[in-house]
Amino acid sequence: MTAKPMYRSDKLLYYSLLPFAAIVIAAFIMLFVVLGYVSAPALHRYGIGLFTTTKWAPNEANPSKSVYGLLAPLFGTLVSSVIAVLLALPVTVSVVLVIEEYAPERLRELIGSVIEVMAGLPTIVYGLWGLEVLAPFLREHIYSPLHQLLGFIPLFSCKPITGFNLATAGVLLSIMILPYMVAVARDAYRSIPFTYKEAALAIGATRYEYAKIMMGLAKPGIIAAALLGFGRAAGETVAVALVVGNVPLVSSCLFKPAYTISSLIANQFSMAPLYPYMMSVLFTGGLVLLLIGMAANTVAVIMITRARKRLG
Amino acid sequence: MPKLRAIGIVGETTLTLLILILIGLIALDIVIQVTCCLYHRGGSQTTAAQGQVSIRLTGSGSTFIYPQMREWISRFQAENPTISIIYNPTGSGTGQSQLLKEHVVDFACSDPPLSHKQYEEYKGKVLQMPVIVGAIAVIYKIPGYRGPLNLTADAIAKIYLGKIKYWDDPEIARLNPRARLPHVVIKVIHRSDASGTTEVFTFFLHKAAPSVWPTNLVGKAIEWPVDSTGRGLGAKGNQGVAEYFKRLDSAIAYVELGYALENNFPIAAIRNAAGYFVKPSSETMQAAIANALRSGLLPSTPLADWSNALNAIIYAPGKDSYPIVSFSFMITWTRYPHAKAEALKKFIKFINTIGQEDIIEGYAPIPPELRSINLKALSIIQGS
Repeated sequence: MTAKPMYRSDKLLYYSLLPFAAIVIAAFIMLFVVLGYVSAPALHRYGIGLFTTTKWAPNEANPSKSVYGLLAPLFGTLVSSVIAVLLALPVTVSVVLVIEEYAPERLRELIGSVIEVMAGLPTIVYGLWGLEVLAPFLREHIYSPLHQLLGFIPLFSCKPITGFNLATAGVLLSIMILPYMVAVARDAYRSIPFTYKEAALAIGATRYEYAKIMMGLAKPGIIAAALLGFGRAAGETVAVALVVGNVPLVSSCLFKPAYTISSLIANQFSMAPLYPYMMSVLFTGGLVLLLIGMAANTVAVIMITRARKRLG
Repeated sequence: MPKLRAIGIVGETTLTLLILILIGLIALDIVIQVTCCLYHRGGSQTTAAQGQVSIRLTGSGSTFIYPQMREWISRFQAENPTISIIYNPTGSGTGQSQLLKEHVVDFACSDPPLSHKQYEEYKGKVLQMPVIVGAIAVIYKIPGYRGPLNLTADAIAKIYLGKIKYWDDPEIARLNPRARLPHVVIKVIHRSDASGTTEVFTFFLHKAAPSVWPTNLVGKAIEWPVDSTGRGLGAKGNQGVAEYFKRLDSAIAYVELGYALENNFPIAAIRNAAGYFVKPSSETMQAAIANALRSGLLPSTPLADWSNALNAIIYAPGKDSYPIVSFSFMITWTRYPHAKAEALKKFIKFINTIGQEDIIEGYAPIPPELRSINLKALSIIQGS
């Protein structure tokens, strides 16, 4: 990165903008420092035990007997996010193909704007919709039949007593992350140089073969979309807290209520000052979330950069 | 920037980045300093408005008392236009810590009193006044049955333990000989956030059915045994519990009485210490407090340790006493700057006199004996 020689006015502008740009970086560092600093007591006291116990039993009268386990929320966060990405991925690919290759102009615009609206909706709206419509619907028409027909698979082995469970959280999240995944995947698809498309068509590829080649080229971008979607899903709070059931369970069955880290924080935060280590444990949860999100984002960015380089 | 490069070792980009971070940290620090100082300034007692000195009191804490507090504040301010009171329903725990540890509010409201340990720490410096009586209603929804339901602590405890699974369990059937209860799974809703409501509820279960509900299952947040069966559901706040409850066809839950009344949920009659099945109402709640007072288990000054108050009022004697009742406490310091002390005393006096005359549905006023105990605070609080 060799900068061109700067004129006086350029320099002035550069230095006057610098502090504002710097705030972003500083805020991020502060976030890390504060999370680390506040988590330290819990990590010091409970160590790895925080991530190996499911029990969440604060004890006010006798704080030394308090047990805090983040395993169940961590499990819930990861599983619900994985479900979300697995469900959203095929839809993303289809949507991108349809709007980029098949749909007529007007339909394309329509789908495009619907997705934009979806991205802008406040998450609580998704949450209420999940509570009101999605959870009862899934229980009635999806979970119960799945349990009856495929009950021998551990994932579906338990009876869906209510609609508020890990599976519903995953489905709701998949709908919520879809707009982001489509946006990223669409960008990746569009960045395929036109010459490749021409070449594919020139050698006589059918529509199907053409789509397959294009998808191959856009693959890193689509994987990046999935990772970004995963990061978002892991951090989502309000909507998930409404449908996940908020019960610290680790189970192979998706129809049992569960917990996620972000909904744990939302649930426990207001009373946490009453218990010596709870705040610190919640911050540890926050730190873990941050690390998960960062890992997903970093890998995604690396993949996008690599893909760009390869395509030139 | 050739000069910078002359420094060697560090490249230009690294250097820019370092400068960026440094400037950013400084900027952020300035922002934090400024906002914090402004905030503290805003919190101080006197501001001149139209030549009139007005005093501002801030409080935070219990969400349970919030609707009533809002009512009190608006009526009090109408009578005392020079005093402005702001109450922030942050939750009892936060309220306690904002008053005692962070010193950012002038008073706090908390459903649980200070624990014995905390009381020892602040003994003589804080006052605790029970200002309102609340009750927890056990609500139920049974498919195909809309009649009344009698429950005992024993039965409720077994439901929350996961031992009673169906509505037609012999134990429930025995309590309700006339009801035709279906063989349907009971879905059990509890609070997912730590809450005074849960503490009162579990305390009741333990006190009334100690052999079924052990003491380690008493607290604001507990590990619910029914959860491991997959039939338990956690929800945040009374509102969250009510939302889940509405959407299930067969469920049991516990909520503050106000939420049960507001939503018209069926409320179970609970067997009290005298063996009678009683539903929560203003009368049965007050009966419980009056009987607790008579038993002499409640302290007689706001300076005392109230940490045992729950034990006195829950599952209280008397045939009309509703067994799952609670207080909401107002917690204050004993010393304030002069103007603030006077304003706060006025407010305390208002709450314990006129304020008790009209109480919002779902709560009950405190009996006259308690009001006079609370009013002792007026002579204890000192301005300096």
